[in-house]
Amino acid sequence: MQKFLQSLEKKLIKKGFANIKVSLVNESVLLEGEVDSLDQKLEAGYIAAGFPFNQVISNVSIKNLKEEPFPKASLTDESLNGSIYDVVIIGAGVIGCSIASKLSAYNLSVLLLEKESDVGMHASSRNDGVIHPGIAAKPGSLKAKYNVRGNEAYTKLCEDLNVPFFRPGSLIVFGSSALRLLLPIFKMRARANGVKGTRYISRKSLMRKEPYIEGKQYGAFYMPTTGQLSPYRLVVALAEHAVENGVKVSLDTLVSGFEKDGDGIYSVATNKGSIKAGLVINSAGAWADKIAEFAGDKFYSLHFRKGVDVIVDRKKAQFLNHIMARPSFNLAKTKTKGGGLIKTIEGNVLIGPTAHEVVEREDYSTSSVDISQLSNHFKLNKKIEVSDIITFFAGVRACTYKEDFIIEKSKRVRNFIHVAGIQSPGLASAPAIAEDVVNMSLDILSSKMVIDKNPNYSEKRKFSIPETRSMDAKHLEELVKKNPKYGTIVCRCEQISEGEIRDVFRSPLVPVSLDSIKRRTGAITGRCHGGFCTPRIFQIIQEETGLPVEAITKKGGRSPVILKKTKGDIDYSYVKTSAQEDVQ
Amino acid sequence: MIVASYDVVVIGGGPAGLAAAVSSHESGASTLLIEREDRLGGILKQCIHDGFGLERFNQRLTGPEYACKEIEKLRECGVKVFLNSFVREIKQLERGFELEIQNSKGVARVGTKSIVFAMGCRERSAKQVFIHGTRPAGVMTAGQAQFFINIQGYMPSKRAVILGSGDIGLIMARRLVLEGAEVEGVYEIKSEPSGLSRNIAQCLEDFNIPLHLSTTVTRVFGKERVEGVEVAQIDSNFKIVEGTQRYIPCDSLILSVGLIPENDMLETLGLVLDNSTKGPYVDQNMHTMLDGAFSCGNALHVNDLADFVSESGEIAGRSAALFAKGELLRGESLPVEDNGKFLYKVPQFADPCSSEDLIFYFRVKKECRNARLEVKNGDDVVFSKKYMVLRPPEMEKVIIKPEKIVHKDRSLVFNLVEANNE
Repeated sequence: MQKFLQSLEKKLIKKGFANIKVSLVNESVLLEGEVDSLDQKLEAGYIAAGFPFNQVISNVSIKNLKEEPFPKASLTDESLNGSIYDVVIIGAGVIGCSIASKLSAYNLSVLLLEKESDVGMHASSRNDGVIHPGIAAKPGSLKAKYNVRGNEAYTKLCEDLNVPFFRPGSLIVFGSSALRLLLPIFKMRARANGVKGTRYISRKSLMRKEPYIEGKQYGAFYMPTTGQLSPYRLVVALAEHAVENGVKVSLDTLVSGFEKDGDGIYSVATNKGSIKAGLVINSAGAWADKIAEFAGDKFYSLHFRKGVDVIVDRKKAQFLNHIMARPSFNLAKTKTKGGGLIKTIEGNVLIGPTAHEVVEREDYSTSSVDISQLSNHFKLNKKIEVSDIITFFAGVRACTYKEDFIIEKSKRVRNFIHVAGIQSPGLASAPAIAEDVVNMSLDILSSKMVIDKNPNYSEKRKFSIPETRSMDAKHLEELVKKNPKYGTIVCRCEQISEGEIRDVFRSPLVPVSLDSIKRRTGAITGRCHGGFCTPRIFQIIQEETGLPVEAITKKGGRSPVILKKTKGDIDYSYVKTSAQEDVQ
Repeated sequence: MIVASYDVVVIGGGPAGLAAAVSSHESGASTLLIEREDRLGGILKQCIHDGFGLERFNQRLTGPEYACKEIEKLRECGVKVFLNSFVREIKQLERGFELEIQNSKGVARVGTKSIVFAMGCRERSAKQVFIHGTRPAGVMTAGQAQFFINIQGYMPSKRAVILGSGDIGLIMARRLVLEGAEVEGVYEIKSEPSGLSRNIAQCLEDFNIPLHLSTTVTRVFGKERVEGVEVAQIDSNFKIVEGTQRYIPCDSLILSVGLIPENDMLETLGLVLDNSTKGPYVDQNMHTMLDGAFSCGNALHVNDLADFVSESGEIAGRSAALFAKGELLRGESLPVEDNGKFLYKVPQFADPCSSEDLIFYFRVKKECRNARLEVKNGDDVVFSKKYMVLRPPEMEKVIIKPEKIVHKDRSLVFNLVEANNE
């Protein structure tokens, strides 16, 4: 290893990084020093990643830039103090929730901690929901292994969880005969990674599959296993399934450190008190490296790649049948798949994502540059135009310098599991990752205890909200007869009924913010963007929770929508009764 | 499941739909009005300022007062109303239409010979004008702020920046100040205000609220709640003038950046929309290109005054009733032409053989002074009027008498000539 350190040092000097010091820590290489820009920091990190060290830890600072401080908790109490759990999972993204859902099949006490006011608030729901086929990842990488397995698992998983899922398949479209020369590379990748059913399709059959494709195309590489789902619905469903089977979820709970007991973790310190833990799983997403550091096992650093997607009016969904992209020359580097046009299960078209490195872990701001980068994709379809954009959003991928997942038992802390660097295709890989992490967990815990199956476990999620929009008249009529609230539409753009919104308050995990209702029902997501329905949803939240209006937030924390009442409490009930017309 | 049948179904219970339902009924058609909210009146319910009804009632009314007058008329004629009811689907039959309607009682199928589409319009949202930065609580449309304050009694802001000088934005600037909030300023990307001159005077000038033209909001700050916005000046190509950016602390950004007619239902029936109005193409009877489908009010094109909305509703309702009875003739509808100075004219088609007054509404593309409008039929001038000033935000109305139109095979041509060109 010393030899590699020396040659890395030489290479860094050659590239102008003479002031970066290198050393060996926990089998990984540690970089220290200061550079002028984020680009330089990343370049140095990638150079180090090219050497056969386990991982890269970059403590390189950027001139005039303070390190982003660890989040602060907005409230403190003692509600978890002194509690004891077999497993504590840190972070309720798609990984944490998948693990919790799978662990709930065993007779273990499991606590899932989330620092935000809802599950899946970050990367897990800020993505395009594509269940990738597994072709982009380098053969032999963890990404390739988990992606293909995860993709396969989704059909049954979504059936069990009652989450809408479909496999529109994806097309890599060749815009020139030169680009078509890439075809053997795609075929090879598919074979090496075990992606099933892929094939080349001719221009003619491409035109049949995508009649509104723009310009002259030279056929396409077709991957039928590519799927799509609503990522936040999935995360919510996983969390609800876990709760139904006995997992405790604690929201607004921030981990601030660990109490060690020799080579193991004894307890987890949070803003809600100290929790004794038999095993700790670190699925903290963008903050996983800090949590690993708290546990005394820092052997990697994360860097952050923002992506922006735009959403197009659902009117245009009829003009796209697949997930579609142009080939990317970056295939070998696997930093980004380049983005494309995405047909979604919700009946929208999504376009993106972009990719650029950022300093902050949770900065979801967008700029006009992001949108103009995506404008190129619009040229792939004759009917979809920039003016059809109804909204856009950003997400941040937490990446290691090796650009692969880290999924392993800690080598230095007895009862600690790392699940980090879960960037794309993390969503597609989640079911397979969870399966392996559960096995690691059972392995660690079984040395101390006997683990039985959970006798009350149900593979199916019991709770679900009916989707009145897609029902035929007969079924809707039956439903409305049982509960008239399903007949009253609150969100007119997405056709979401009052019943569906009120159902959120009967769910196994009830958060109360506008955004959590939006994620669970689809209300507010349409073309008027909540202009009409937000005040009505407000009223429903108030009726259901009894919260004062000033306490209802957009997304938890300090995000109130209403600052005060204009004139105190006014009883408007008389307005309704006097104006009530004869309803049908 | 309820199955019923009517001559005319009116979709939307705002001023356009109310007027349409009354005039349809008065023309002898069995009429059903469908409204998705729990009260009639549409957006007028939340417009508690005055200035409504000067044309229609010769009175200065508030929005709710205006709505009440229309609702009373409807009650008197006993038109059937479905409240809290949502049209799920419209199917075109060989003759007429079938609607699938849902409400808290269940699902109803309603057959009808004609439909009046009176769904009004919605506000353009922050993302549709590509406002960037973070996405905190406190960014909302002016109409939403108006609902919060006027209907629910909630204050969504203590210190606001308003983007866009549309009428609702101007009215909300004044409203916020009256409720004790501070309005830092109104910012308009264009070099001219978008709202009516009377609103600039009464809502901004009278309250010392500054209006910044050729300036826009370039970025929103704040992770949870809005903490501030960045504004910058814009050049004539709508590009940011570097160095003019400045940060304004505020707790909310209120948007009045345009209205979009709601015609998604029409598009499902295969109707193409006029790109300049975002509404369907109609003839002088408010008849769309689809037989039996009529459009009026803000769904047809965004009006300045509720009075004009009611007027077009009346025409649409009467025509729909006549169509149901088989008494409405399509005639030879010819496209109404112009000399390129107009943003749009509605109706876009007219039948020169019509025996009724032809009512047109138009907006000019650019502000012009001392201009003369001439409407020609062949070489004959059938209408002429001089205007001191014409501005895109101010809609104008023209009535042409049918007896003036001599050349029955020639279309009408709108010509606008500015004084210095004359």
